Amino acid sequence: MKINEQDKQLTKVRILVAAVDVITIRGFKNATMREIAKEAKVGDATIYNYFPTKEKLLYGYCEYVQQQVMQELKDISNFHEYSVQEQLQQLVETTLQIWLPAREFLQQVFELSFGAPLVGFTHLEETKRLFTAMVVDILDAAIEAGELPEQPYRELLPRLFWDYANGILAYWLKDNSEGFANTTQVIDRSMEIIAAILQTGMVGKLLDLVSFLFRTHIMTHTEVLKSLSQAPDLVASKRRFMEGK
Amino acid sequence: MESVLPEGKWARAGIVGSTALKVGLREVQHKVKRPFMSLERQQADKLDTDDKNAELIFNALTQLRGTALKVAQMLSMEVEILPERYRKELEKSFHQVPPLNRVLVRKAIQEQLGQPPEYLFTSFNDQAFAAASLGQVHYATLQDGIAVAVKIQYPGIHVAMKNDMKLMRKLAPNLPNPQMVLQSLEEVGARLQEEVDYAHEAATTQWFAEHLKIEGIHIPQVYPKFSAARILTTELMGGQHLDAWLATNPSQEARNRAAQSLYDMMVYSVRELKRLHVDPNPGNYLFHADGSVSLIDFGCTKQFSAEFIHILPQLLKAFLEEDVEAILAAYRILGMDHKPTTEHWYQEVLRPFAHWVALPLQTESFDFGQHQDYTSNAREIIQRLSQNTKYLPKRIPLKRAIGFPIY
Ligand SMILES: Nc1ncnc2c1ncn2[C@@H]1O[C@H](COP(=O)(O)OP(=O)(O)O)[C@@H](O)[C@H]1O
Ligand SMILES: [Mg+2]
Repeated sequence: MKINEQDKQLTKVRILVAAVDVITIRGFKNATMREIAKEAKVGDATIYNYFPTKEKLLYGYCEYVQQQVMQELKDISNFHEYSVQEQLQQLVETTLQIWLPAREFLQQVFELSFGAPLVGFTHLEETKRLFTAMVVDILDAAIEAGELPEQPYRELLPRLFWDYANGILAYWLKDNSEGFANTTQVIDRSMEIIAAILQTGMVGKLLDLVSFLFRTHIMTHTEVLKSLSQAPDLVASKRRFMEGK
Repeated sequence: MESVLPEGKWARAGIVGSTALKVGLREVQHKVKRPFMSLERQQADKLDTDDKNAELIFNALTQLRGTALKVAQMLSMEVEILPERYRKELEKSFHQVPPLNRVLVRKAIQEQLGQPPEYLFTSFNDQAFAAASLGQVHYATLQDGIAVAVKIQYPGIHVAMKNDMKLMRKLAPNLPNPQMVLQSLEEVGARLQEEVDYAHEAATTQWFAEHLKIEGIHIPQVYPKFSAARILTTELMGGQHLDAWLATNPSQEARNRAAQSLYDMMVYSVRELKRLHVDPNPGNYLFHADGSVSLIDFGCTKQFSAEFIHILPQLLKAFLEEDVEAILAAYRILGMDHKPTTEHWYQEVLRPFAHWVALPLQTESFDFGQHQDYTSNAREIIQRLSQNTKYLPKRIPLKRAIGFPIY
C-alpha cells in the first residue's frame, strides 16, 4: 500500500518533469498531453489520471517547486538559528535555486497567469497557500521568540511577501547579468529594508497612512476613481488586491 | 541592523554624483574665500577643506561596498598619489567590509562548489572570522580533520565591479592629482580583475608554496577540491596580524627574525623567483610567536623581466655610490627618463632618494626603531621624484621599477 503511494508520487513527479521539458521546448500552446506522456514514459490514458488538463500540469509543477523549497529549508540544520531576515531571504533564494533549471518554463507560467489574471490566480492558489504557510511559520516563530514586535495586519503580511517574491521572480526572469548577480543584490538589499520595516512595526503605520489618504482624499474623488478604474492595468491590480483579501 | 545599502547602478551614480557635487562646492567656497585671508589662514583653511573632502569621498566609497573598498585600499597604498589626509581616511577601510549573512554564504558555496557547506565540510562555522576585501573568511574542517580557511567572495561582486570602476573614474577629477589617480585607476582595474579571480590566486599560491621555501616564511596549502573561481580554501595558518602580534610584546629576537624573514623572502623572490608578492597590506601577513611569518593572499603578484633582475643590483650599487650617471642609465634601460637633469634636480630630488634607498643597505643591520621616520620620510621623497619622472613609451610604474615595495 505504502509503496504504491510512493510509486504514484514518483510517477507524478516524472510527468511534471517531462512537462517542463516539453513545454520549455515547444511552448505551452503547442505542447500536447500525448508528447508529455511519451516523454514521461507513461500511457496516454495514465497522464489524465494524474493531470486532467495542461493547466493542471503547469500549476502542478509550481506546487512541486514549493514542496521542494520547503524540504530544502527543512534540510538546513541550523535554520532555526537564522535571523528572521535570513530565513525570509533564504526562502526567496531557495525558490530561485529550485526554479533555476526550469527558468524558461517559469517564464511561461508568468505569461499565462499574470498576463490573464482571470485564469492564473485561482490556479496558483495552492502554490500560494504552500508559500504563505512558510512565511506565517517564520513570522510567528520570530514574534514568539521576541525577535519581532507583534505585527499589526499580521494576516496580511504573508500575502504581501508572496507578492514581493513574485516581483523578485519577475525581476529574475528579466535579469541578464552574469550569474543573475543583479537579482542577488536586489534581494539582499530589499531584504534589509523589509527586515527594518518588520522590526519597527512600520507596516501598520504605512497601511494606516494609506487608508487615511484613501478615506479622506480618494473617496471624495470618485469620478477620478471611476475613470481610472476603466484603465485596464488598474482593473488587473484591483482584482489582485481583492484576490489577496 | 545592517545599513541599508543603495541599490543598483543609478543609485550608485547618485552617490558619486552628489559627492562630486559637494566636493566641488567646497572647492568653490574655498577659492572664493581665499583672497580675503592671511596666508596662514589660507593654509589652515586648505587643510580644513581637504579634511572635509576626504571625509565626503570616503563616505561615498564605503557606500559602494566591495570594489570601492578595494580601490580605496590600493589607492591608499599609492603613497605618491594622494596627500596624507586623504590617505588616512582611506586607510580606515582596512579590515572593514560589511558582512555577508548566512544566506549569501550558503548561496556562494552552493553555486561555486555545487553543494551546501554541511555536505562538503566536517564542520563549517557560518560566522566569518575575518573580513576579506571582496568577501569574508570562515573556519572549516575537512574530512581528515585538517583546519582550513574558506574565503568566500560576495556573490555577484565581479559584475558590480565594472560599473564601480566607471564611477570611480567619474569621481577622480575631484581628487587632487586627477591625472595620476586616473592612470592609477586603470592599473587598479586590471589588478582587480586579477584579484576577483580566486582560481588564479589558488594557482599562484600553489606556485609560491612550491617555490618559495625560505626559513621563517610559511605559505598555506591550497585545497583545490574546495576552491573555485569565487571560493578559496587554504590551510589555516596560526599567527596574528602585525598590530595584535606587537601587542603581545614579542621579544627583540622574534622581531628581528620576522624582519629578517620578510627581507629574505623579498630578495629571494626577486632574485631567484623573479616573482614577488606585491600586496603588502598588513592583513596579508600573520606573525607567529617565534617570529616566523605566514604569507597569505597571493591575489596580486608581479613577474619581473630578466632584464629588470639584471639591472636592479647595478641600480642599487649606483645608489650606494651616489653615481648619478649610472643611476640615470639604469633608469633609462628600465624605461624611465628624468629631465631636466640639472644640478638642482640632482641635489633636491634624486640625491635624497638615493640616500634614502641606500641607507639600510649601508650597514650590517638596520634598526628601524632608531629611524622611526624612515618610512614616513619616503612619501615626500618619492612624491618629488615621481613628479619629475617621465615614463618612456613602455610605462613601468615607479613603485614596480624600484623593485621593492616602499609603503
Ligand atoms: N589561510 C589562512 N589562515 C589564517 N587566516 C587567513 C587565511 N586566509 C585568510 N585569512 C584571514 O582572512 C583575512 C583576509 O584574507 P585575504 O586572503 O588576505 O583576503 P583578501 O584577498 O580579500 O585581502 C586575512 O587577513 C586573514 O586574517
Ligand atoms: Mg588580503
